[in-house]
This record gives sequence, structure tokens and C-alpha cells, in this order.
Amino acid sequence: MEVKILSAKFNIKDAHKLEVARQHGAYSRLDKLFAMEPVAVTEEVKSSGLRGRGGAGFPAGLKWSFLPKGLNKPVYLTVNSDESEPATFKDRFILVRDPHLLIEGIIICCYAIGCHDAYIYIRGEYTTQVKALQAAIDEAYSAGFLGEKVGGHDFKLDVTVHRGAGAYICGEETALLESIEGKKGQPRSKPPFPAVEGLYGCPTIINNVQTIASLPYIIENGAEAYKQYGTEKSPGTHLFGISGHVQKPGMYELPLGLPILEVIEKVAGGVLNGKKLKAIIPGGSSTPVLTPEDAKTVTLDYESMAAHKTMFGSGGIVVLDETVDIVKLVENLAQFYHHESCGQCTPCREGLGWILKIVKKILRREGTMGDIDLLVELCDNIEMKTVCVLSAACTMPVRSYLNKFRHEFEAYVNQGTSAQTDVKQG
Amino acid sequence: MAEMVKLFVNGREVEVESGKNLIDAFKVIGIEIPHFCYHPALGADGNCRMCLVGIEDGRPPLVPACKTPVAPGLKVQLDTEKIKKIQHDIMEFELINHPIDCPVCDQAGECTLQDYYMSYDLQDSRMTEPVVVKGKRMDFGCGVVHDQERCVLCARCVRFTRLITKTGELGIVNRSDEARVETFPGRPLNNRYAVNVVDLCPVGAMTSRDFRFTQRAWFLTRDKGICHGCAKGCNIYIDHNREKYKDDVIYRFRPRLNEQVNGYFICDEGRFTYHAENEGRLMAARVDGKDCLGDYAAQSVRAVLGPKSLILVSPDSSLEQMAAIKALSEAVGARLSGYSEGYIKEGDGDNWLIQDDKSANRAGLSLLGIDAGKETFTRLLNSSEVLVSFDNDLFIHDTGSEFRQRLEAIKVIAVTSHDGILTKMASIAIPVASYSESSGSLVNIDGMLQHFDRAVQKNTPYFDMVELCGMLGSPVATASDAVNEIKKVIPSFANVEGGLKLTASEATNVPA
Repeated sequence: MEVKILSAKFNIKDAHKLEVARQHGAYSRLDKLFAMEPVAVTEEVKSSGLRGRGGAGFPAGLKWSFLPKGLNKPVYLTVNSDESEPATFKDRFILVRDPHLLIEGIIICCYAIGCHDAYIYIRGEYTTQVKALQAAIDEAYSAGFLGEKVGGHDFKLDVTVHRGAGAYICGEETALLESIEGKKGQPRSKPPFPAVEGLYGCPTIINNVQTIASLPYIIENGAEAYKQYGTEKSPGTHLFGISGHVQKPGMYELPLGLPILEVIEKVAGGVLNGKKLKAIIPGGSSTPVLTPEDAKTVTLDYESMAAHKTMFGSGGIVVLDETVDIVKLVENLAQFYHHESCGQCTPCREGLGWILKIVKKILRREGTMGDIDLLVELCDNIEMKTVCVLSAACTMPVRSYLNKFRHEFEAYVNQGTSAQTDVKQG
Repeated sequence: MAEMVKLFVNGREVEVESGKNLIDAFKVIGIEIPHFCYHPALGADGNCRMCLVGIEDGRPPLVPACKTPVAPGLKVQLDTEKIKKIQHDIMEFELINHPIDCPVCDQAGECTLQDYYMSYDLQDSRMTEPVVVKGKRMDFGCGVVHDQERCVLCARCVRFTRLITKTGELGIVNRSDEARVETFPGRPLNNRYAVNVVDLCPVGAMTSRDFRFTQRAWFLTRDKGICHGCAKGCNIYIDHNREKYKDDVIYRFRPRLNEQVNGYFICDEGRFTYHAENEGRLMAARVDGKDCLGDYAAQSVRAVLGPKSLILVSPDSSLEQMAAIKALSEAVGARLSGYSEGYIKEGDGDNWLIQDDKSANRAGLSLLGIDAGKETFTRLLNSSEVLVSFDNDLFIHDTGSEFRQRLEAIKVIAVTSHDGILTKMASIAIPVASYSESSGSLVNIDGMLQHFDRAVQKNTPYFDMVELCGMLGSPVATASDAVNEIKKVIPSFANVEGGLKLTASEATNVPA
């Protein structure tokens, strides 16, 4: 099932070094790239159907075409490498094992959108990754792939790495821009969208690491070759991070569109220790949960996920076996999102803390049935009333647990026990 | 006149000014969109979410009104169940961690949270868990005391220090419901406009050390006034109250919107000049060291006024008072001077509201042709036997021993609102009403004519200075006499209607 497009060099020793990377094709697409018109590059990416790999799945080429034309302002590219969504561990592989793939992708994107200053926003906790990335950038500068004349072509490009300071919210694109500008990481109201008014008030494209790293393949082999993988509306491959109760947790590159249960079974080796599957978090902690029953018909692509009222997200699949106490899981989730709420706007700032307090109350066996209903209502009251979607990242999954595993909450209220006490904790 | 735009609100077609956001545009036509964080002087921030409104067929269908400009044909929904529910929900969120200590909160009675609770919420709290505990009565400097628990994190105060004073002392630290307004360690508020954050704060989080716990807001009478702290003439509210068995006392000045003069703000020095209206007043008339009736003192003054008298006008006096005094000097043949160099504090002003000239109406002196030069004053003083100062505090700055000796050699008469060195030297002292107790007109440093009415009425009113001039022999003995005289002398004011009230220049206040 696995394919090797983004991960082609992941298992090659020292592929993060320029010399090794070049032996395996790094920067080999630049001649072809600079022979193309920038517009043609955008068109190629558009027709490849490449979608943003940060979680929202917005078509990348279409995003680029939103840049206003004829503005007398610089255009910026910002590569989102915050990768802060719990259960997501894909971009870190690119940053450490094949950073030149990312840099080449940046060159391609910048050429297409007319950007000469690119920023890579990397989460503060990624110390190994930032070292590897910076070393690769330094190498690329010395070899002339970055700087005044990219690869000897008449194109100037500087790449700056900016480290975050450990805030989940800085993965939200406008909070990320604020952070680069030296301000507190808080999302901006949209409109204006970053493509119109982004970094330092200039048009800015923000793409995920994996999105950018997909570009060299598309330029080298063409949109059609890319579309051979995946489904019609979700073409290409994706780095899936499979974790939780599976035999072989890890990062796997797979084409989009595979059945989720088959992937868990065949790629990740099935549920750990032969236990029963209880639930699947399909794409990072903020995506609504799937029951085994739901999962039967789910395939790993944007459309199937949406049809099952969840989201493809970041490709971080978490497998939960029968020993998991859903109420405790929700507590953990609420704790995280409450802690990470930037505190800017009222519903999220106050509401997520309230949700957490109620869940804790239920766990203390002091909850009432009314508290469970209140949780559901609070999810509705908070969601979509806020500046950004962080609150929804908490309320959407919490609501899904309340809907699909309400009996576990009720068990705490009625029997004063976890619904899990009869299952031997694994 | 701004261009008008037709749009719909709750299905009704309305016409509003273009170029405004929905909150400001609808306010003009009497439709309130509730909001905490938006303030016209600070711009839209969009953090409180209280102003979310529906847009029919809109993408997105829900927008913050503060960030939404009016547009032709826009179909705004304010009264749908969905919007009402959002307003209620936001209020619930704002209140779950709020201490609800209204009985001891200074803001009670003028609190946006209270008002909106009555208008948009009116439900019992569903919060059963302990609230977030934050800092209380934190000294932020400049007389600002902060209560973090009452704060709704609207960031108006933070934006004020960043956008208006550009001093940036305040920030919001921490995240989620632990977020709080703070100063940086060891760097308290340090600017001359800091107390404006108290007015800007929609709740009781920012309080003024000067005002807190002195009065309940609903007991205060709010009258319009003009600050006499400097030549800018900032528009203010004079908040005063006569407690039972006590006198009418001012408790605070607050800024009053006038786009042409001071905008939404006043400086801290000006704000606290109200203390001088309550304290240090000359309470009773005195002749030769003995308290007496004002009428007797006035007669005593009248008896000595003559060609050897020098009458001194104050640059703080209103145009009406100046005109009456000038007419008095002419009637009795006395000399006249407006010397008042001491009122100017060189280099103290900034390029915003605070002026070097600490007098309210210096422009009036020159408009009425009253010489204020030091040379003239010294020459006239040296040949005079009587000096009558009309509220001009000659000792506002040290004037030297020679000058003092000269005053001790002649008869000094002080017609003044305040007790001071001059009244102690004076053989006759007559108390008069101060500006908060009288009405008048001023011309500020930018040449703008402004009128103020009486705000405070003392239990035993002091003489009105214009009327006192009449008693002393001035043909200008009433306010209307004074206005007629001023219009005669100053041609540019000849056509000002209704006394000297420039109603057009006085913007209606928009308490935001």
C-alpha cells in the first residue's frame, strides 16, 4: 500500500546532506522550473489537484491565484511548520530526513507566486528539526540554490527560519503571521485574508511543509502523474502518522482514498494485543471521532471524511482500543485546548475552561445529567462564534464524543463509575 | 455631509452614513449593537464577539459589526433568535468568571456588563464550579487601580497605551481564561493621559484611586463643562453631588467628546483640577482682617477705586468677566492689565492636548484689547496706590522679593475664588464663584470659542464676578450686557447666535 513520493529519500543515509540529496535528484527540477512561466507553474499545481496538507485541504494552486495582481508590494511565502496538532508527526520527517525537498518546493512555490523572501515558521519544540533545516538551508545558500541567483538562474530568493515559542495557536495561519511579526500569537479577523494582507501587511501565501514538499514531484512528473495516486477529488499521497493502540505505530506515506480499517489492519498491523477497536480519531485530535461502525465505510480522503461528519485533518490517525475511558480522553482533550486557547475572544477564552471544569466535575462523580446536556449546549454556543477555529477544534470532537459515547458520561453520573471498569486496562 | 447608503436592518430599510461600521452607523439612527471591545478612538478589534450580527444571504452569515462597513443593500439581522441567543451566550461567557461584586464596584450604575445583562441576558448563572481567581486592587501607577477579575479582556486599555499614548505600558499576559491585563515588572503606567483607561474600561476593572469608593455613580449629576487646566479647553463632564446636609461637591471630571478639541480624552492633570474647585476656596469676605458680608466688602472696594487703581484681569476669566472688568476700569478711570506670565509653564506642553499656557482664556485678553505685558504692568503698578486683582494669582510662580515689597507698600484687593498669598496680603478680599459655579465663554489656544454653563450650585452661592463688577460701578453688570459688549468689541463674534454658544461646534457626546 505504501508509496514513496515524499518519503523517497527518508531511508537513504545522510539524505539531509546536500551532496547525498543531489545524488538522488534534489534540485534537479530547477532547470525545468525556470524554463516555465510562473503562471504555468501555478496552472500545473492547480491541475494536479494538490490540496493543502495542513488540515483544511484547500486547493494549493487556487490559493496562490488569490494573490492580488499588480500590487506594488512584496509577496511573501510562509511555510507552516508549526505541526502542533496532537497526534500529528509528518512534517518533522521531511524537516530532518529530506529538508532539501522542502527547500526545492519553496523555490518552486516562490517562483510561481513571485516571492523573494520566504519564511519557515517552525515550532519551538522542534530543536532537532530546526538544526537540520537550518543546516540544509546553509548548504543550499553555499551551493547557490538560495540567494541572489537561485541555481544560477535569474531569480533571487532568501529563506528565513523563524522559531515559535510553543503555542498551538501559532499553527493558525494569521496567529503565525503575528508571531513572525514579533507580536503575541493571536489570530487576526478575516477578511482580509493573508493572500491580500498578510505578513507585514503584504500579500502572503501560507502553505504547510508537506504541501510545499509535494511540489518537486509535480513539477518533475507533471500533474497527471501526481493524479495517478489518490482519488479524483483528493489526488496524491499523504504522510499518515498512525499512533495509539496499534501493533506498528509510525509514519506511512499512502495514496489518499484507502479504506481506514484496511490501513490500520494491513499497514499498522491491527489493534495492539488483539484488543477490540473502540474508536478512531481520523486526522489529529481536533477531528470528530469515528466508531468502528462509522469506520467501515470511511476512506482516507477529504470527501469521505466530510461525508462521515468528520475531517481529514492532518492525517494523524489515533487508534483507541476498548480500554480507553472516553470521559478521561475528553478531559485530556479539553485540557489541551483550554490551555492553548489564546484568550483573545470571549467564547473560546471562557468557554473552553468551563467545558474542562464540567468534565472534571463529571470525573469526580459529582456531575449530573444536566451537566452532560450543558456540555453539548456549550459546544454549540462556542463554535463558529470566535475569531478563529481553535474553539471548533475543541468543540467538534467533544461533541462527537458526547454524541457517540454518551453512555460513558452517563455511567459516571449514574453509577459513579467509569464504563471501563469491567475491561482490563491494557 | 457624508454620502448616505441605504441598507436593511431587521427587514426595514434605513439610510445611514457611508464609511462607518455598522455599530457607529446604526447608533446615529438609534439602533444599538452591543459591544465591549470596539471604541471609535481605538478601532475595531473584534475580540468580544458581542457585536456579532447576521447578514442575510451573507458569506459568512455571521459577522462582527465592528469590522463590517456599511454597504448598499446589506441585510443586517439584529433581532433574530439566533442573534439574540449569541448575545445571551456571550454575556454568559463574560460573566462565568466575573466576581459579580456590583455592590462594592465603582462601575456599578455605569457598567456595560450590568446594562447588557439587563438588556440581553437576564438569566441565572449556570456556573457551578469555582471561578478563576486573579489579581485584585493592583496598583498600575498614575492613580489607576486594576481588578483583573472584573476584566473582560476587551483590550481597550492596552490599545490606548499602544495606539494613543504610544507608551505601551499595558499588555495581556497568559492565555485562555488565565489571560489578564498587566504592566511589565517595575514599569507601571507612566504617561500623562493614563487615567483615560478608567473611562475606556467598559466594566469596573480599571478604577481611579482618586474616585474609587467616593460616590455611587447614580447619585452623580453630570453637567457639561470646559476644563480650565490649560489653554486647550478640553470638553468635560463635571460629575457632582450634593449629599444630604452637605454642600454641592465635584467628585470627578471625565472627558466629553468634542472631535474639534479633545476627541475622547483629557489629560490627567486637567482631570484632577476639580480638586481645586472643592478645596482651598476663599470662604468669606474680609475687610482689614475681619470677616464681613460681601456687600460691605464690595462697598469698601467701590470707595477706594479710582484713577490710582490698577485692576488686574485673570487669563482664566471668561470673556464675559473680562468685558465686565474692562468696563469697570473704564467707568472708574482705573488702569487695567492682564499680566499673567506665571500661568505659562514653558516646555510643559506636548503636541497633543497639554499646553504650556495653563490659563483657559488668554486669547480673550487680546481679543478684548487688554494689555498683558510685563513692562506695562510693572510701570502701572509702580505708580498705583491700589491693586485690585480679579482672580489673577500673581504668586502662581515666585515673583521675587522686590515685587512683594511693592505690593506690601500699596493697598491690595483680591476678588477671587481661591485663598492664597494674595488674599492674605489683601486688605479687602471678596470670594467669587469659580468656573464650575458660573457660566461663560472661552477662546482656546486654537481660537475656538466655547461656552460653558453653571454646573455646581453651592448652598451659599458666591458672587458672580460680572454682577460684582456691576456693584462696583461697571456698566456691564449682567451676562447679557457682557455678551452685547463682547459682540461690539469683537466683530467676528457679532453673528454668533444665542449668547456665545457655538452649538454647531459642540459635538453631541457619544459615550462609547
